[in-house]
Amino acid sequence: MNRKTIYIILALFILPIALRFAWYFPGFDLPRKIATPDYANFKMPEAPISTPQPEDIKQKGGVVLLDYSHINQFKPSEFQAMTDALTRRGARVEINSDATQLESQLKYASSYVVISPSANFTADEIRIILDFERRGGRLAFFTDATRGLVYTDYASGSPATLPDTDIVNPLLESFGISFNSDYLYNLTDNEGNFRNVIFEQFGKSDLTWGLKKITLYGAHSLKTNSGLALLIGSDKTLSSGTDATPGNDPKQGWAASALSADGNVLAVGDFTFMQTPYNTVADNNTLVNNIADFLVGGTRQITLTDFPFLFKGSTTSIFLTSNVQMTAEMTGALSRLQAELKTLDVDMKISETAPDGGDTIVLGTFSPSDDLTKYTDAFNLKLEDTSEFVEVPQFGKLGRAGNGILLFSAGKNSNTIVLLADTETDLTTLMDILSGGNLSGCVLQNNIGVCSIGSGEKFSTTPAPAGEGTPTPTPTGAG
Amino acid sequence: MKYFEMTPEERNRFLWWAIPALVLGVLVSFLIQKPIIGIIRLNDAINAYTAKDLITQINYAREHPEIHAVVLILDSPGGTVVDTEAVYMELSRLRETKPVVTWVSGMAASGAYYLSSGTDYVVAVPSSEVGNVGVIGYLPPTPFVFEDIISTGPYKLWGSPRDTTVREIEMLKQGFYQAVKLGRGDRLKIGPDILLRGQIWPASEALRLGLIDQLGSETDAYNRAAGMAHIWNYNIKDLYNVAVVIPSTTNAYGFFLQTKDGVTLPYPSRPGLYMLYIPQLPTEQK
Repeated sequence: MNRKTIYIILALFILPIALRFAWYFPGFDLPRKIATPDYANFKMPEAPISTPQPEDIKQKGGVVLLDYSHINQFKPSEFQAMTDALTRRGARVEINSDATQLESQLKYASSYVVISPSANFTADEIRIILDFERRGGRLAFFTDATRGLVYTDYASGSPATLPDTDIVNPLLESFGISFNSDYLYNLTDNEGNFRNVIFEQFGKSDLTWGLKKITLYGAHSLKTNSGLALLIGSDKTLSSGTDATPGNDPKQGWAASALSADGNVLAVGDFTFMQTPYNTVADNNTLVNNIADFLVGGTRQITLTDFPFLFKGSTTSIFLTSNVQMTAEMTGALSRLQAELKTLDVDMKISETAPDGGDTIVLGTFSPSDDLTKYTDAFNLKLEDTSEFVEVPQFGKLGRAGNGILLFSAGKNSNTIVLLADTETDLTTLMDILSGGNLSGCVLQNNIGVCSIGSGEKFSTTPAPAGEGTPTPTPTGAG
Repeated sequence: MKYFEMTPEERNRFLWWAIPALVLGVLVSFLIQKPIIGIIRLNDAINAYTAKDLITQINYAREHPEIHAVVLILDSPGGTVVDTEAVYMELSRLRETKPVVTWVSGMAASGAYYLSSGTDYVVAVPSSEVGNVGVIGYLPPTPFVFEDIISTGPYKLWGSPRDTTVREIEMLKQGFYQAVKLGRGDRLKIGPDILLRGQIWPASEALRLGLIDQLGSETDAYNRAAGMAHIWNYNIKDLYNVAVVIPSTTNAYGFFLQTKDGVTLPYPSRPGLYMLYIPQLPTEQK
């Protein structure tokens, strides 16, 4: 066979193979390298290093009242870092677990702290709290996006939450602040997780002193139209409510924390940051200390309604003016007053002369006397022996019979209260009203109170039955 | 034509060689097997058992030359992180020699999307659900000590501090994001700020965002796989039937939580780290 024939035979052999190959495989690829993530070089994000600030602690003392009567979603132990900071400032944390005791406990508290409540505040509680703040008491509200009350919606069968913001807002809105029912997140610049948001922009305030970086853990945003935004997020910090920036421009009043215009109400959209170990991250502990300073830094105006928490020292002097005789009834009233003061760790001592200083209770009648004038002059009280009326500023002419007058003056280091009535018997009744701690039967106006003590015959035209108007003593928060 | 002119003798001799050569050529050509596109299905969560089945099928496809491409058919909410990564890495090895195309028949969420991002091309039914990029996990309890259980370290009982678990999840998320970024490349039209929100999208929207390549049918996926493998006239073979020797069942494993009356909930039954989409419970399953 010649070469030509051999080629043809080979072609006939290859042809069916080539045809079948071409039928199935029009082309081919070479093996390739597939890139996969570089798992070995992934690292866990590290927490920002804490840079503790030297503390300039001032022993201001005081009582911080912690709300625990509204199904609050926290354990008191989670407040420990703040409790420690307050203790270092000479303050004491007291828990209010019975809403009926709120009013009496706020009488001596310097601030009131509410954390993630789940039960509504009653109108009466709101009134008491607003009154407390109006008189200079400080309020701090902490909500937390991780602390909403979770329940099953039986209509849909789906889990739902009752955000703590819904409970707090009716109170806070009085101060131009309201929380949003959202949480803040940042997908690109965060502290280990998208919901752990870093703040590096702060409103100028004592509360933000020494802060360079703060981390909040699942924080609600808030808005304020009159207050000061304290913790302001970056442009990449978004609200879960809109998946957009909640307006981190302070001019728009959005932030994670704010201070009311009067400087007495603090709102923070997170509570986790003050718990161990999160309080050790970044400058969180400095923020805890700043808040502690805020809580003990108020100057609350003490009024008559705060009795028996009117006194600052450990001893209160009782001074009977010259026109008052120590009757047996009065001795009994004094013992009851002493017992009441004892519950507050305040000792009582009888002073024969007008004390030079210190907390004092002055007992007198409407009959003018020199040693009484010292105390009544400041109130422009006109006492005359012959008149059946006493002229009291802001009240006008009051009948001597059946009325008792309370005069309260607050000094820098000590306070004085003057009790005046027509007779020793009336005075005794007035003392018992005071000891009972319930001045609801009295008309109070600034630092003057007028109480109906319902007795006294000398000038009374329609004598009232003895004892009427004497309220039943109500136990106070302290006693 | 003179060139092919032969004498009868020459013609006989030529045919004596030519016919056997042609027959032999035909016979040899039958050694060239008809190409196969292998199907690997995932209709469940990714857990230890389903992952084992998937890896067996992937290895089968890689080791059998007649399989020229693989179509991964997904209807899965994802699953455990470790099993997802294990399957993903085997898929990557397979792709070095054979193209892999994903067809999303119902859902490719979380870990299932992790797998699909590691394939060459993603086709999805328009109303299927795609995305949910991210990791979820149960934090361990705050450590405490028992009176009657003695361990040799503070985390012997609890595994790790809560805070470490949070950061570990963040690290796993970075792996997920890298896998999507590498797999999708320039086709991905969104950045981490959108992708890592964990949102699940309908396929039509996922196409606009670059998470998938095409809306289409199962046949579209086969055609695409064939085109990428440069094959025509192929057969389709479900690899589960040929590769998996011992069928496994997830019921015995109990990956999902079950109520006392036997209703399966979408929550995993064990604490751990998951790339899993957990939809809201319908009313009748409360």
